[in-house]
Amino acid sequence: MRKALFLSLAFAMPSLLPLSGPALAADPSIPVLVPITGFLAVEGKSQRNGAVLALTQAPGGLKVRHDVSDTGTSPEVAVNAFERAIDDRNTVAVVAPMLGTQMLALLPVALQAKMPMLTMSGTAAITQQGNPYVFRFFPDDHVTKTAQVRFAVEERKIAKPALIYQTTAYGQSGREEILKLLKARNITPVYQDALDVSQKDMTAVLAKAQAAGADSLLVHLHGGPTALLLKAASTMGLKLPIIAGSGLSQPSTLALLEPAELATSCAETGSSPISAETPEMQKFVADYRKAFDQDPDAFALGQYDGTMMALQALAGGANTPDKMTKALASTTYKGLAMTYKSNGKGDMAHSAVVICFDGKSRVPTIAKHYDVN
Amino acid sequence: MLALQLLFNAIALGAAYALVALGFVLILNATSAVNFAQGDLVMVGGFGALAFGSLLGLPGIVLLVPLLVVMIGIGFLLAFVAYFPVRKRPPDTVFITTIAAGIIMSNGANAIFGPEPRATPSLVSSGDWQIGGLVVSYQSAAVIIVAAALIVGLHLLFTRTQIGRRLRATAQDRDVAASIGIPVNLMVAATFAVGAALAGAAGLLLSRNFFVSPTDGANYMLKAYIAVTLGGWGSIPGAVIGALIIAAFEVAFPALPALIPALAPYAEAFTQVWSTVVLYVLILLILWQRPQGLFGEAVRARP
Repeated sequence: MRKALFLSLAFAMPSLLPLSGPALAADPSIPVLVPITGFLAVEGKSQRNGAVLALTQAPGGLKVRHDVSDTGTSPEVAVNAFERAIDDRNTVAVVAPMLGTQMLALLPVALQAKMPMLTMSGTAAITQQGNPYVFRFFPDDHVTKTAQVRFAVEERKIAKPALIYQTTAYGQSGREEILKLLKARNITPVYQDALDVSQKDMTAVLAKAQAAGADSLLVHLHGGPTALLLKAASTMGLKLPIIAGSGLSQPSTLALLEPAELATSCAETGSSPISAETPEMQKFVADYRKAFDQDPDAFALGQYDGTMMALQALAGGANTPDKMTKALASTTYKGLAMTYKSNGKGDMAHSAVVICFDGKSRVPTIAKHYDVN
Repeated sequence: MLALQLLFNAIALGAAYALVALGFVLILNATSAVNFAQGDLVMVGGFGALAFGSLLGLPGIVLLVPLLVVMIGIGFLLAFVAYFPVRKRPPDTVFITTIAAGIIMSNGANAIFGPEPRATPSLVSSGDWQIGGLVVSYQSAAVIIVAAALIVGLHLLFTRTQIGRRLRATAQDRDVAASIGIPVNLMVAATFAVGAALAGAAGLLLSRNFFVSPTDGANYMLKAYIAVTLGGWGSIPGAVIGALIIAAFEVAFPALPALIPALAPYAEAFTQVWSTVVLYVLILLILWQRPQGLFGEAVRARP
């Protein structure tokens, strides 16, 4: 970890140096505003844990206050929490909620307050509005779906996929990207269906995919529904390859499934910390387990990296929101999951991985890395 | 064989939904108020089974007994917290207090168990019977048997026991029941207890195959509400039939193109989304024709 921090600092310092100079704020603060209740609580909790772990491991002996606020599921609550957070003159950046509707509501407030936001929200629109204060550390749908589709087509040689997605904004957005990427490869799904999050029995949707002659399932569902689908496929004895969305990469989803039920499955994700490819990643996983008594997922790692990038900038002298914004916009940072650099719109993450399961363990192996421009 | 599989799955799901709807309608009849915490009681039952399973390491069928005891206690508590203090206020007040109770349960479960979906212990054991192409999982078979046993037990309680007759009398006319010496308040509290126990049992039955998470309550509440509206507001058999209809739509309607080849070209009209639309259109049609629901009794004001 120390080596990783040293390397990160060495990598980042050249661009941070011009910012150093003014004394650090005596009591810098990076509030953590995340949805830890409501339908996005699983992911929000991971986001909180990743941010808090980074803030407790701040480099250079930095002490950074980090009050955690639950933003629930409504935009108003998020805006209120944000306004309270920026009321503190020592706030240099805010860890902002991953819920897209909340981020959309926060954008104008952050613009007015000139306050940088570090988020994991996958909603494409948040970085398409020319707002210079948003920094997204999770690969957006274009990156993750490119990994999913490329893996399916290039590695699994699929030609007649069935596409099963969620009716939510998350599901619709992923579906559009998948269809666009398939079309570019002259592939049309033989069957498509959208599932409500309350859908319990998956037999019908699988039977229809089978009847349509699908040679594979491209899945873009939340974690729980993904587990239900895989369980149903296993019960039906369906042997089609399943290439799922990042819902399957979450340890909480994997805990719902027996290893045998995962046998034909792969999934895209921003990163797979539990696969622990490097010693630095192994240390992160150990620290996370010690702190939170659970396994980290890609959201936790992404937010950890994003927050650590902000802390590195703070250590380098970016002790005001303005300096922090400039540092995040111009710095390249080598995190644990990937190298982060803004594309000019605030998209910092441009890599994804595809993980696969062997049917004997819930711990996946990373089958392929993808860097997407 | 697919048709049989879907029928089996629909009955297993509908049986558990029926318990939720039954608890809902019992409280509705006893209080003339909607218990909006009914869905969250299902969620509490799921997490209760999870907690008992972790502590005792026993199969779900054994956990059902202590779970029912705890849920009866929670039902009494709910009555004393969310109903009795406001029972003389307009019915809307009970809506609000039970909604508040549900939110407390949901956030309490989040704080204690975390937001992740969890699976509870299986009722008997994991595994299944393969009969031709039909897969009959032990869990689903046990769900049907346990739910049926609970429904029959409830029927016997209401028709063959003194307390059951008192409960029915209270539900039919509280003033008359009180005038003949029935402790009406105790009966109302007991109805909350029975309703909570049924919801808890449903939570245990559903949470193995379909998991449980703190935010599940709203979905179960909606299904119970629709089942009771469809079956007949206040009708106990109607609640069961309504629940089975909802489960049938959820499971079987989207599969029609796979069952009937002639419908295959129109598969886009049988997605999960459209099956929900068709279900609610059907409910509207039924309610236009029979505002009292399928099994409800028509009520008219005396001229």
